[in-house]
Amino acid sequence: MKPPLLRFRHASVGYGSSPVLTGVTLDVVEGNFVGVLGHNGSGKTTLLKTILGLIPNLKGEFAARGKAGGAPRFGYVPQKERLDPLYPLTGRDVAAMGTYRRLELFRRLRGLAREDHIAECLADCGAAALADKRFSDLSGGQKQRVLIARALAAEPEVLALDEPLSGIDVTTQRALIKLLKHLKEERGLTVLMVSHRVHVEKDLFTHVVWCDEGKAHSGETGEMLKGRLGEMFRGEM
Amino acid sequence: MSLLAEVLAPSFLLHHAVYGSLAVGFVCPLVGVYIILRRMVFWGVALPQVSAAGIAAALMLQGLGYAWLSGGEAGERHLAIVGAVLFTGAAILALAWLERRGGSVGDGRLGALYAAAGAATILCVAWNAAGETEMMGLLKGEIVSISESDFHAMINAFAAIAAGLFLFQKELLLVSFDRDMAVTLGRSVVVWDALLYLMVGLTVSLGVMTVGPLVIFGLLVLPPMAALPWARSMGALSVLASLAGGLSALGGFLLSYSYDLPLGPVIVGAATAAWAASAALRALVDLRNGGRAAP
Ligand SMILES: Nc1ncnc2c1ncn2[C@@H]1O[C@H](COP(=O)(O)OP(=O)(O)O)[C@@H](O)[C@H]1O
Ligand SMILES: [Mg+2]
Repeated sequence: MKPPLLRFRHASVGYGSSPVLTGVTLDVVEGNFVGVLGHNGSGKTTLLKTILGLIPNLKGEFAARGKAGGAPRFGYVPQKERLDPLYPLTGRDVAAMGTYRRLELFRRLRGLAREDHIAECLADCGAAALADKRFSDLSGGQKQRVLIARALAAEPEVLALDEPLSGIDVTTQRALIKLLKHLKEERGLTVLMVSHRVHVEKDLFTHVVWCDEGKAHSGETGEMLKGRLGEMFRGEM
Repeated sequence: MSLLAEVLAPSFLLHHAVYGSLAVGFVCPLVGVYIILRRMVFWGVALPQVSAAGIAAALMLQGLGYAWLSGGEAGERHLAIVGAVLFTGAAILALAWLERRGGSVGDGRLGALYAAAGAATILCVAWNAAGETEMMGLLKGEIVSISESDFHAMINAFAAIAAGLFLFQKELLLVSFDRDMAVTLGRSVVVWDALLYLMVGLTVSLGVMTVGPLVIFGLLVLPPMAALPWARSMGALSVLASLAGGLSALGGFLLSYSYDLPLGPVIVGAATAAWAASAALRALVDLRNGGRAAP
């Protein structure tokens, strides 16, 4: 078995002195497609932020190890509502941010253009036509495509998406799910996807993390659905 | 345009005022773009007032006979700069520290700071009869009289700020637009925020020395507001805002010189006119394009 990319052991995640989830024990292995599920306020975003290194884990053990030894390269797709529409940015401008890693200055001085790479990422996400449109004018689904392209532009090992399907019509949701499946296969990505719904993406996830009442229950999707959680999911629908 | 040639000539008596206003006019809006986009307008209100308080305090100390602080006639102008930079720097450090510690009364803190700085300015002037003319001049938008070498240092500082904003536009955009993304890309949000705050602080304190707090607040906010409805990229926003600010400063100076009006309010008036014209034109264009609202 491959060593896990992400590993939690009896960890607590949360803010300052108030943990949101406790006793988190969880492995994410390369190639997994993990659904992080739970009701609003159950701690899904908090768990994701810990994984991304945006907040420290409060207790226990958390390790993230990518191919190069250190933390894996993350491609982050935040909740689109968080981005301020005031900025005059095109789809291409937003996607280009994926390439703003450290040392970019040296590349820039060497005149190494990243235009092709950015255009390719946009095209892979079906967003080539959005490159010159104003980002804040795009529909929810279009924004999501641009944000996924931005994450890809960072050449990630792990793609982490926060509620990518919320506020989007069902047809577009299906198209986005298809896109994510395709990208995962094509690029050999590990994917973490936060969602407060369950039924739509059931056949998408290899693994599920169910956040509920301060605990994170995790396992293979099939196993999870057979047990107690399966009944709960069915009850929910 | 002989008037233009006259005021731009190096031999022109008020050339510090002309070139100082122009530098401020072009550079202030570049910093102001980030203040508008990051929704920090209250910072733009409070910090110029704090700078003014710093200058007033420096002039008061000097008026009270602490000449040893300034080291004589030429040094007294250093003291005004030091006062502005020290007060503004301290305020930014305190505000940034409080913001990182969290809490939801950021706007309230800035309001309180503005009130306190305004009061401190007036008290410092009251305790210092000699400084009153200079301070009144500053509030009207007249440049504090400074030595030729200090003036050059100031212009160079503005040029350095403009260069820094240009060189690091990607980083500054990234940490402003999406801090979390910046962290996942391995960027240090603290460092880039600190650099931006440093440039805001320097622009404000040097600018207040040049044209007073009112003009600085006006130039931080009005030109970016005028540019925003037309800009389709960050580069365009910066260039348009800078042009609007620079031209407001130049137009303001010419008007003020020709009709003997106080410089500060005229520059702010010109910038306000630019903003109003821009907003009206945008509304008109949108109406013609079928009622799509301005972004
Ligand atoms: N920055 C924060 N500081 C303190 N508490 C927070 C913060 N963000 C979220 N919380 C709290 O943490 C809990 C989980 O939030 P979150 O992880 O965003 O939920 P979800 O993403 O599952 O809807 C909520 O009770 C929320 O109030
Ligand atoms: Mg959430």
